[in-house]
Parts: sequence; C-alpha cells; structure tokens
Amino acid sequence: MTPSGYSYEHMFAFSPPRPSLSPELLATLRPVSLAKSRTLPLGEPWRALVPGGGLRRGSTVVVEAPLGLGGLSLALSLLSESSTLGHWAAVVGVDDPGVVAMAELGVDLRRVLFVPRPRGAWAESAADLLDGVDLLLVRPPSRPAHGTVRRLMDRVRERGTVLIALSEPRTPWPLPADLFFSVTQAEWVVSSRLDARYLTVRVSGRGAAVQSGEHVVVVPNRRGRAEAS
Amino acid sequence: MEQLLAIWSEPLCVEQPDGSTLRDTLVLLDALSALCPFTEVVRLGLFVLPLRGPSRFFGGDDAVLRAVKQIVLDVVGTAPLLGVGEGLFCAELASRHEVIVPLGASDVFRRAQPLSVLGRKDLTTTCQRLGLHTLGAFADLEPARVAERFNKHATSLHRVARGELAEMEGQRDVRLARRLAQLRGEDDLFEEQTGFFGQRGAGDDRAEAAAHRVRRRLGADAIVVANLCGGRGPEDRATLVPWGSPLSNARDLAPWPGQLLAPSPATTLAHPVPVQLRDVDDRPVVMGARGSLSAEPSGIIFSSPLRREIIWHAGPWPLAERWWLRKRHRAHVQMVLATGEALLVVAEASRWWLVGIYD
Repeated sequence: MTPSGYSYEHMFAFSPPRPSLSPELLATLRPVSLAKSRTLPLGEPWRALVPGGGLRRGSTVVVEAPLGLGGLSLALSLLSESSTLGHWAAVVGVDDPGVVAMAELGVDLRRVLFVPRPRGAWAESAADLLDGVDLLLVRPPSRPAHGTVRRLMDRVRERGTVLIALSEPRTPWPLPADLFFSVTQAEWVVSSRLDARYLTVRVSGRGAAVQSGEHVVVVPNRRGRAEAS
Repeated sequence: MEQLLAIWSEPLCVEQPDGSTLRDTLVLLDALSALCPFTEVVRLGLFVLPLRGPSRFFGGDDAVLRAVKQIVLDVVGTAPLLGVGEGLFCAELASRHEVIVPLGASDVFRRAQPLSVLGRKDLTTTCQRLGLHTLGAFADLEPARVAERFNKHATSLHRVARGELAEMEGQRDVRLARRLAQLRGEDDLFEEQTGFFGQRGAGDDRAEAAAHRVRRRLGADAIVVANLCGGRGPEDRATLVPWGSPLSNARDLAPWPGQLLAPSPATTLAHPVPVQLRDVDDRPVVMGARGSLSAEPSGIIFSSPLRREIIWHAGPWPLAERWWLRKRHRAHVQMVLATGEALLVVAEASRWWLVGIYD
C-alpha cells in the first residue's frame, strides 16, 4: 500500500495476461536458465582438467604462453563448447584472428564479435562488450596496467561474464586469476604436413578443488580440434 | 580516388505514389549492371558506376557513355545527364554540368563550385558574409578555424571541400538498397543484418547493444564479424566484415578441391608480411615455374636482422588457379621453426609472404 492508501495491484488489474505460446514455438526457444546458469560448459579435453567441468561465470581465466606457441589456439578452444550452445563471445585485441581455425575448433562464428584493433582502448572496448557477451577473450597490446585490470575484473565479477585473458610470460597478467593455464612446451607432430601439436599445459587456480598439474593436450589435431592426448 | 560515372535521371528522382519509380529504378539498375556489375544506385534518380573497367572493355569512355545513354533512353524514355568525376561528390556535380572532369582535374573543378552545392543555407550565408563564395575559398580555411566556428556537420563538409572525403554525408540514401531488395523479394540478405542471424533471443539483443556501444566508441569498422566462404587457403576463406553490413550468402559448405587441410593457422594475417627464405648457403630460395623450390629452405628472414632457422617444411602445394595470369602462381609452404613456432607462407609473384601463424 502507498501512503495515500492506494494499492499497487490496481495499477496492473487491467494489464493483459501473458500470451500463451504454442508447443511448436516453445520447442524452438532457448531456455532462459541456460543463460543464467552459473558455469559455462567446456568441451574436450578441458572438461576433465578444470574443476566443475566448466568456466564459472564472473571468473577470470588467464592463458599464458610465449608468442606463437599455441596460446591463442588454447584460448579459442575454451570458447568452442559455449559458442556451440548459443552463447555469445567477443574477441578483443587479436589483430588477425584465424577465422578458419576458429571454425575448425568448433566456435560458431555467427555469435562472435571481433574488435581486432582497439587502438589503445582495449579495456574500454572490453568493458563495452561485457554486458553483451558471455565470454570475452582479450589480448592486451602491451603489459596491462594494474588498475585497469582490477576494474575490468571487478566488472566481470559483477556482470557474470567469463574473461579469458591471453598474456605472454614477458607481459604477465598483473592480478591472480581464478583459473590459470600456462603453456610450457609445444611440439608439432608432422607427416607430409602439419598434423597435430602437443601442448604441455600447467593448469592451476584458486579454490580448493583445483587439480593443479601438468597435462598434455592436442591443440589442434588433424581436424583442427582440441582433444586429450 | 576512383573515377566514377554519375547518371542522373530526372524522371526517377521524385517518387510516385504508385510505386512505379522504385520498379523503374530496379529495371534500370539491372540493365546498367549488365554493362558494369559494380553499378550502384546512390539515391532515387542517381546511379554511379566505376568508369575505368567498362571503358577498357568497351573501348573508351565515349563508348560507355553512349551505351549508358541508350540504356537509360530505352528504360526511362528520357536521356539522362551524365558526368564523370573522381569520387561521388565530384561525379554528381559533373553530371549536373554534363561534363567529363579528366583525371587529376577534379580538384580545380570542385574548388570552382559555388558554396550552395553543399546544400547548407546557414553555412552558405555565413561564408558569403565572410567573403567566401566558392568551395575553394571555403576549403582554404584552416580546419581548426572551421571546427571552432561551425558544428561537426560543417567540419565534415569542409573535408569534402578539401577533397579529403569523397562524398557528403546524406548524399546516399542508405535505405534505398534495402527497399529495392524488398521489392525484389531478396530481403533475407538484410534480415541477417538487422536480425543478426535469423532466430533471436535475449542474448542476441544484448550482443547487438554491446556492438553498438563499441561502434560508437571506435568507429564503424572497428567491430567486425566473420564469415567463411569458399577458397583454397585460410587467407581466402575468411572474410571479416564490419558489423552491420550485409553478409554474403555464400557459405562454406561445399567441398573445395585443393583446399589446404586442417589445422589452419590461428592467426591469419589480413595483410601478408613479405619474408625471405634462405638456403644453407644463405642464398634466396625461389619457387620455379613448375612449383619446385630452388633449394631446401633453412632460414626465414622477417625484417633484415631477424632470422630464424627452419627445421621442417612441407610443400610447396601449388594452387592451380587463374593460370592465365602469370603472376598469380601461388603455392603454400608450411614450416616449423627451431624456436617451436609453425608458420604458413605463400609464394606469389616470385616473393614470399607470411600469411599465417599457428599460434
């Protein structure tokens, strides 16, 4: 009741009831609960290596690898399962994304936004995209500033997006991440062409349940996908 | 700037209530597209096409002008005004005067025009009080002074007057292309643009809003979406288009003979970087006419001091495409460096280009 003694219910007394939906239509709709569930699914081989088998919303994942040794492929492979299930992703600061490789990894390109060259405004573009996408992959152009990163991670936590930051050992991500992938070794298997790359990845993170340890995964394999070795 | 032929057809510029204007525009557009596939309709009554290609094909500018005049006469019934100039702004002005502005003379032509061609009364009046009567006089003002005195719109017009922008804001009717597509029943192309990609959910709306925010911050082409099309190498198959522009209908579904097999490089350079391949004796490695290498490559040089050892390579896989162009002989080579990176390089026009990094 308002102070004037007027009941709010009256205001909506004549609003029409929600329209009922036909069963055929209902079958085509995506459930809202999917968008709100607390973790985003991960595909092979990460499901078995990451606690909970998924990426917790609001968390920050850091992928650290020397340039050219598979960090980008690894980070993109984290997007694939969620992207297939209808989540939106954005890629900020990756200058020349290998779109064909992304498709091979299983990323649905219809739901990926790219900001290849944010021209010094990578953090601002990332913040702009946070509200709109479920997964955000960023590659800062240089060593990111402490304050910028803190603000970004706070917003990520608040919005429930998953931030995947790609960094190099030379320019590390300045704050501890919830989940940390570090590529320590990359080895190509070749035949008459490049066949597969075996990555030695150290997975670590915060929280008790993290099985910290080194794993060997294949990213990409002969079909361009990620798999367990 | 590209030389454009502007075609101004008076009867088509005012829309009739019975819809005949749009229909005639469509018929004329199709007829002109048969002459030059790059014909565009800028707004009702105004068509442009790049002159260089058709002029070479038909044997001179005059032949193209004659052909275009005949087509418009056949479709509309009255002769059009034709004009040639560099950039859309100049081309339209040239069509009003029915002149051909030769290459390089666009600057003089533009500067001689009265200020009223910019279509802004307030700007014209103010400038006339300042004693500026031509576009040239307006263009000579310093950009900073113009920005101080006038609004953003005038700044952009100033850039048009200086020849830095090829067309005025509002010169194009951006809705027209869509209306024509609707008339043709091909609206799907544009549905994808507005509705992102068919079925929509709350997530799609949020993503669209986010894309708008980035576009406002960084400009129209800063945010892009990807589309796959047919092609042999990864550099041919990927197309990144600014978000909001219509996507081509070609999808990467058909098998493509000679396609480079998976895995594809996770970094595909939009602008390939020239590199040099060297053999053990530090001599350049070149690809012969039959697609064989002159020697085993053992080193790759990016910019002059940066050299890396090649420990393994595969290829070259020649791409037998457009064989009638000698310089189009391309071949892919995959390589692994001693430092662990894998690269994809392409030989083209007897040079080597880095097109992909298996990052």
